[in-house]
Formats: sequence, C-alpha cells, structure tokens
Amino acid sequence: MFKDIVIFSSIVMISFVSTNVKGQIASSGWKEEDRIYSKVFDAPLSGKQLRKGTTLYQVTSQKPTVLALIFTRCTGVCNPFLLELKENIELRTNEKNFNILVMSFDPRDTEKDLDDLAMRFGLSEDKRWEFAVTDSIRSLVQSIGFKPVWDSLRQQYDHDALLIGINSEGYITKKLIGIRNNADLGLLLASIQDSFTPTYRMANPNMLFSCFNYDAKTGKNTPGLGLIFVALPALIAMVIVLSVNFFVRVNRI
Amino acid sequence: METLKLRKITSVWIIIVLTLFVVAIVLGILMRLNQGEIIQQSPITFYGNMTTHGLTMIGIWFVAGMAAVNYLLERYVKTSYAANLFALVLTVIGVLMLWCSTFIGEFHAGWTFLYPLPFKIMWAEWATPLFLSSLGVLGLGWLVWSISLMAQILKKYSISQAFAWQHFHKNPKVETPPFILITMITLIGVIACLIAAVILLILFFIEYFSTGSFVNDALLMKNLTYFFGHTIANEMLYLGLAVIYELFAEVSGRPKWHTTWYVALAWNLSLIFILTAFFHHLYMDFVQPEGLQIIGQIASYLASLPAAGVTVFSILVAVYRNKINWSLTNLLFFIGVAGWVIGGLGAVIDATISNNFILHNTLWVPAHFHTYNAMGNVLFSLAFFHWFSNQYYHHKERQNTLKLSILLIGGAGFLLAFYIGGAESIPRRYSTYPSDLPMGATLASIAALFASLYLIAILIFFFNISKKCLKILSSSPQSS
Ligand code: HEM
Repeated sequence: MFKDIVIFSSIVMISFVSTNVKGQIASSGWKEEDRIYSKVFDAPLSGKQLRKGTTLYQVTSQKPTVLALIFTRCTGVCNPFLLELKENIELRTNEKNFNILVMSFDPRDTEKDLDDLAMRFGLSEDKRWEFAVTDSIRSLVQSIGFKPVWDSLRQQYDHDALLIGINSEGYITKKLIGIRNNADLGLLLASIQDSFTPTYRMANPNMLFSCFNYDAKTGKNTPGLGLIFVALPALIAMVIVLSVNFFVRVNRI
Repeated sequence: METLKLRKITSVWIIIVLTLFVVAIVLGILMRLNQGEIIQQSPITFYGNMTTHGLTMIGIWFVAGMAAVNYLLERYVKTSYAANLFALVLTVIGVLMLWCSTFIGEFHAGWTFLYPLPFKIMWAEWATPLFLSSLGVLGLGWLVWSISLMAQILKKYSISQAFAWQHFHKNPKVETPPFILITMITLIGVIACLIAAVILLILFFIEYFSTGSFVNDALLMKNLTYFFGHTIANEMLYLGLAVIYELFAEVSGRPKWHTTWYVALAWNLSLIFILTAFFHHLYMDFVQPEGLQIIGQIASYLASLPAAGVTVFSILVAVYRNKINWSLTNLLFFIGVAGWVIGGLGAVIDATISNNFILHNTLWVPAHFHTYNAMGNVLFSLAFFHWFSNQYYHHKERQNTLKLSILLIGGAGFLLAFYIGGAESIPRRYSTYPSDLPMGATLASIAALFASLYLIAILIFFFNISKKCLKILSSSPQSS
C-alpha cells in the first residue's frame, strides 16, 4: 500500500516537473517595474531654455515630466525613438499639463549638441520640450535603473529606448521601454498626473469562464459563466449537507 | 466517550501545531527585522518567508481548532478516528510539500497566491505545481475531516436540530447544545470555502496544463481566492468560539450555557454573512459590480454582530458580579475574546468602503488580522491545549501572571506597531521601506523586539504543554 502511494506520487511529481509552463513566464516586462515609486535623482540641468542652476525637481515640480534618455551620436534607436515620441505628442495638442525633457546620458554630449538635436527635430521653439545635459548623469541613471553599456568596438552605447514618467513630487510613476504607441504614452501621462487608469484583461476566446463579458462596441457589460463559479462553493456545500443528511438519517439514534 | 486513541492523536496535533507555530513566529520576527533594516534578506527570501509564514499560520490554527472541536465533539457523538488520522497525515505531507516549494523552490507569491502570480515563474519551475499540489493535499485532508465530523453530528441530530431551529418556537422539546450548533454552522462554512479552494486549484491546473489554450478570468480567480482565504481565516475563529461555548462556563464553575432563540438566530445568520463578507476584498476591483461591493460591506458589518455580540454578551453575563474560578484556561479565553473583538473592530473599520480607500494594503490590514489571530484565536487554542493537557497531568502551575503578562505586553507592542504603521499609510508586504517612510523601519524594529517577548511566552507554553502531551502519548490504557 505504502509502496503504491510512493510510486503514484513519484509519477505525479515527475509529470509536473516535465511539463512546460507555456502560460505566462516572466518576461522583460519586469524591467519596467524597476524603481517605480522611487524618487529620481535631483540632477542639476543645463539647457538652452533653462535658467542657470535649474534642477530636475524644479522642472518636475512645475509640471509632471516625461523624461527621454538618448545620446546624440546614436546610430541606432535614439532617432526613431524621438521621432515616434514627437509624433505621438503632436497628436496631443490640447494637453499642456506636462513637460518633455530630453536628456543625454553620454558625458561627451554638450548643451550645444542637444540644442542642435532640438533644432533638427524642429522642437527648439516648442515650450513643452526641454533639451538638457547634466554633470551628474551617473547618479541620475542609477536612480532610474537605466544601464547603458559602452561598446568600444562600435563606439556606441548598447541601451534601451527608455521613457520615464516623473510626477510633480519627483517620483518615477511609470516606465516604457522600446518604441511605443500613443495609447501606452497615454497611460504614462495619466500616471504622472497621478490619475488612476482602470485596466482589465479583455475576455478572449480562450477565457471560457469570465465573470463579465464586455462588449467594446456597445460598452455594455453582461454577466458571464464565471459568476456561477463564484456561487458554486456554497451550492455544492449545501448539496453535500443534504446528501450526507439523506444517507445518515437511517442510522439516526 | 473519548478514547485513548483520540487523546493521543489530539496530543500529536497539539505538539505539531506548537512546533510549527514557533518556527512561523521566528519567520515573522525575521521579516520585521528585515523591514527594520537590522538584518538584510534578499527580497526572494523575505517573500518566501512571508508566504511560508502566512500559510503555515492559517493552516495550524485551523487544524488546532478542528482538533479541539473533534475532541470535544466526542462528548456528544462518536467521531471517526480514521478521518482524524487521515487529516493528520495529509497535513504533515502538505506542510512538507509547501515548505519544499517555498524554502527549496523559492516560490514566494504570498499566502493568497493571487492569479496570475503563480504563473509568473520567478522561482524553480517545479515550485508552482508543488505549491498548488500542497494546497490540494491539505484541502483534501481537511475536507474529508470536516465532512466526517458533520456526518457524525447529523447521525444524531436532524438538520433542523443541528441548526437549532426548534429554538425559534416556545419550549422546544429537544435542546441543541450551543457547541453542536456552532460546530455545525462552522463546518458548513469550512466545507464551502474548501470547495472554493478545490475549484480554484482545478482552474489553476487546467491553465497550467493547457499550454495557453485556456486562460482564466482574473476576477473569477480573485473571487474564489478570497472566498477560500477570507472564509477559512474567519471560520477558524468560529471553531475557537465553539470551544469557548463548551468550556468557559465549565472551567469557571458556572452553569453550562444553553441555546436560546437569539443564540440560534445569531449563529444561523452568521452562516450567510460569513459566506458573503469576502466581497470586501474586491473593493479596488472596479469591474466587480457595485452591488457586490455593497453586499461585501453590509455582510462584513453584520457578520461581526451576531457571533461577536452574542458571545461577548454571554461572557460578560458569566463573569459580571459572579464568583468565577479563574484559571489560566478561562483567563486565556477571556483575553482572547477581547483580542478578537479589538481585531474585529479594526476589520470593520477597514471593511468600510470610504476608509478602505485609505487603509487598503497598508499595515492596518496585518494589524487587524494579527490582533484577532495572535491575541484572539491563538489564545482560544492555547486555552484548550492547556485545559486538555492538564486533565491528565495536572501540576500546580506557577507564574501564570508572569507568563500572561509577557504574552500580553509582547503581543500588544507588536500589534501597536502595525496599527500605527497603518494609520501612517505605511504599505504592507514591503520587504524594506523606501527612505520616504523612515517610520516604517523604526516601527518594524520595535515590533521585532515585542514579538520576541511574545515568542518567549509562547516557548514557555510550548514546553509546559508539550511535556504533558508527550506523557499522554507514552501512556498505556492501564495508566489512563
Ligand atoms: C508574533 C507573532 C507573529 C509575527 C512576528 C508575525 C509577523 C508577520 C509579518 C512581519 C508579516 C508581513 C507583514 C507585511 O505585510 O508587511 C506577517 C504576515 C502575515 N501573518 Fe504574521 N506574524 C505573527 C503571528 C501571526 C499569526 C498568529 C497568524 C495567524 C493566522 C499570522 C498570519 C499572517 C498572515 C496570513 C500574513 C500575510 C502573509 C501574506 O501577506 O502573504 N501571523 N506576519
């Protein structure tokens, strides 16, 4: 008997171990969670539109800020990344309650380099955009959890295209890695303005037992099969009580 | 009549519970020391310890209540030794599997293992199925045990008698003892929440093995998780209350308590409220319809009224201006009821929707549930353990006041740090606190100190009670 149990349990355990978990293995998505709700380093900034001695907190305290980290000699992602950001921001002409701060993480970049970059993108006159450098870039990138790696062969940094949302108190509220669409940018802007964004995974054909079925076309939410499962434990418990009562009543003393 | 076998198995339960309790408290103190920056644990170790601590604590105080109820139930009906033993074996196997998944496999999704966290593999891949299976093993053992106890009650009492419905009429012919009524109501709640756990585990496993062709609805999984988690955490308190109803008057030298119409009504209503109060865990889930949130709030208010109101009233009537034979047993019961009520008030404050916006996921949450557990339910069970072991090996115990004082001072200081932290919006489940919340670390260090006092008191109880239980285990039929 004991031997059978051991053999059976071993088979069950081995089958678990050999099963692949395809479902939802942690992805690079966790990188976006790093340093969320921690304070960004209050770096001194220098840029054309900034007064001398301005610090990052002074910029963020005026308006929540979207920080883009780039370097001007980049031959890779920085240009398409900035271009996409510019286009997405242009779609939000009515939204003025935020700054976009573009900063270089390459200590070789000067205020002039960033100025030229702003000009190239036609952003030097746009009040929402600031281009700046800092002499404390190491502390700044460390506080953000951004880790560019210098590749001496290509004379380039290996780095993520990173947007950081910073609220008016200087806290990092959201990060976006990669070139992202306007909807994602909307989530970042909402987060720096400290507004709650309700998100919920939509039902899909593989989700058989959802509690509610939301119809995106009509905006209506109808009860789904899942609700039955919420009531099921109480119902099954009642059935068990009644069945047990039925079977034992013959022996009732 | 209780048998030697029952006495021995109850002793084994007690020794296991107290041993695991000491280990789980040490894990708790380590967590507070880490939050206080006195020691440094990696987040994985912290959250692994938190998961082990939470589940072990819930598990042991549930089985402690069940073992006590099983022992006392033998006064009224014959219980099944086989079901008791089955639950014991499965509990030991389940705990070993659980600890393997957390300590070796580094599974650390918290005791509520909220979907989809178990599938976000940040630990050994085998740890997720092992963790879920450990819950399956524990749940199976406890479900069989609960159904068996209920079946034994129903062999003697009809359903309406077990629910004490005859007490709604004048001069009922048969009296349902309060112990039977509360046990019956509680067992049904326990069975319902264990079935919720079974459904939850089945859904987890279907998704796990479906390799992506089946996914679960997060809202359904959260509802089921709290149907199980919230309900079992409350039902284990009710098991403790059943023991109080049976023993408090007896050990105090007072007449036995009887079931009246209001006691029957209160406990019948409790069953409904306790099965719907869990909705208050979903206040932040905006997709849950408002109606269910309101049910959650109303049920939370009402769940505390009948059981708490009637029990507190009964205890106060029993002790007020009456001569009581105070002993360690009824003192523990009495202080435990006070702890339960204080924790319950903290819970009701948090279950009020407008307050929940502020207190949600702050240290207020562990504050209230630790109050009615560490200073409520634990004391109910310690009282039973003490009474049980003293029945067979009675020594005049010295320094009861000292033991109780250390327990009280340690417990109160430990809990106060949680409450102050909660009122200061310090978040729960943070392995270390950000520098903006310096109070978090200070409170945690103070809490660790007081929790160590609590541990000292528990160790004294542990040695005194276990010594006697070991003697019971080695006793023969002749010596008994
Ligand atoms: C002196 C004894 C105890 C100490 C030092 C202790 C300590 C702790 C700590 C530090 C936490 C994490 C709090 C946080 O969220 O930051 C915790 C969580 C918890 N404790 Fe205790 N505790 C003790 C007794 C108990 C008892 C008696 C129970 C009984 C049921 C219990 C059940 C739990 C549960 C369920 C959690 C939640 C775990 C999770 O969030 O996954 N604890 N405890």
